[in-house]
Amino acid sequence: MKQFVVIGLGRFGSSIAKSLSEKKFDVLAIDEDENRVKQMEGTVSQAVVMDATDEKALKELGVADFDTAIVSMGETVEDSIMITLSLKEMGLRQVIVKAKSELHAKILKRVGADRIVFPEREMAERLADSLASPKIFDFIELSETHGIIEIVSPKKFIGKTLSGLKLREKYKVSVIAIKRKVPFSQPDGSTDFKEEVIIGPGGENEVISGDVIILLGANVDLEKIEKL
Amino acid sequence: MSDYEHLIELSNLYILSQEFDEALKSLKKAEKLNKLDPKLYYNMGIAYEGLNDNEHARNAFRLALKLDPTLASAREHLDRLIEE
Repeated sequence: MKQFVVIGLGRFGSSIAKSLSEKKFDVLAIDEDENRVKQMEGTVSQAVVMDATDEKALKELGVADFDTAIVSMGETVEDSIMITLSLKEMGLRQVIVKAKSELHAKILKRVGADRIVFPEREMAERLADSLASPKIFDFIELSETHGIIEIVSPKKFIGKTLSGLKLREKYKVSVIAIKRKVPFSQPDGSTDFKEEVIIGPGGENEVISGDVIILLGANVDLEKIEKL
Repeated sequence: MSDYEHLIELSNLYILSQEFDEALKSLKKAEKLNKLDPKLYYNMGIAYEGLNDNEHARNAFRLALKLDPTLASAREHLDRLIEE
């Protein structure tokens, strides 16, 4: 099973540690602040009060045996750089670091960080995207380059079957589900909907007006669909 | 059946056949004949919701409830759309 070490248990670090534990991964959580560590006890596999800039202590703790480290030091830019450097020197395969600024990110890359995250900015961008586009209901990031979007089916798709649309050939995206509102008549003669979800729809499925389609693909390709 | 009733019935049929744009056309014609029927705005809400135009759907359900605060189906749809 994959093992994670989370260094820095502020809002971002603690929520990552919690989410990974909920997914049944082995998580070692580290922070200098005793209270923060106490809050994680019982949630993660191991929670330790420690100064993570102390390379020797990190080694003694066996951090080198972990697959992935997530470094989320809220205030101290220098500390996150030092820790990233030590972790890479110890041979950790993947080190993900929270950055505060572009300059911070650049330095982190230089010292070997495998992935830089700007959680606040990413959240804000995602929110801005969803506000700007009424067509997009949701976006789930799978990696830096791929994601899943839930989108109102473009007018061009309506009345066509999935095989006729050739989405994989033309746009390199796959339809993983269709959410459809199926109208029905009530005993008093009025109409109502019930929502039907077609998971893994076959090529024979026709897209109808009002369908919401859930697509998987590279972000660049998904953007092309959004613009239709 | 009056022209108004005919248009409402037509909108029901369009909604059932998932032709929401057509349903809205009938409902807008019907609105010119009678602006006091909660069922008209309920159907409008359903048609807009069918098109995923949730903002217009919410407005239509609100109008339906203004005309008939006991219209439970409009309340259910509005509550759900507000939650989203």
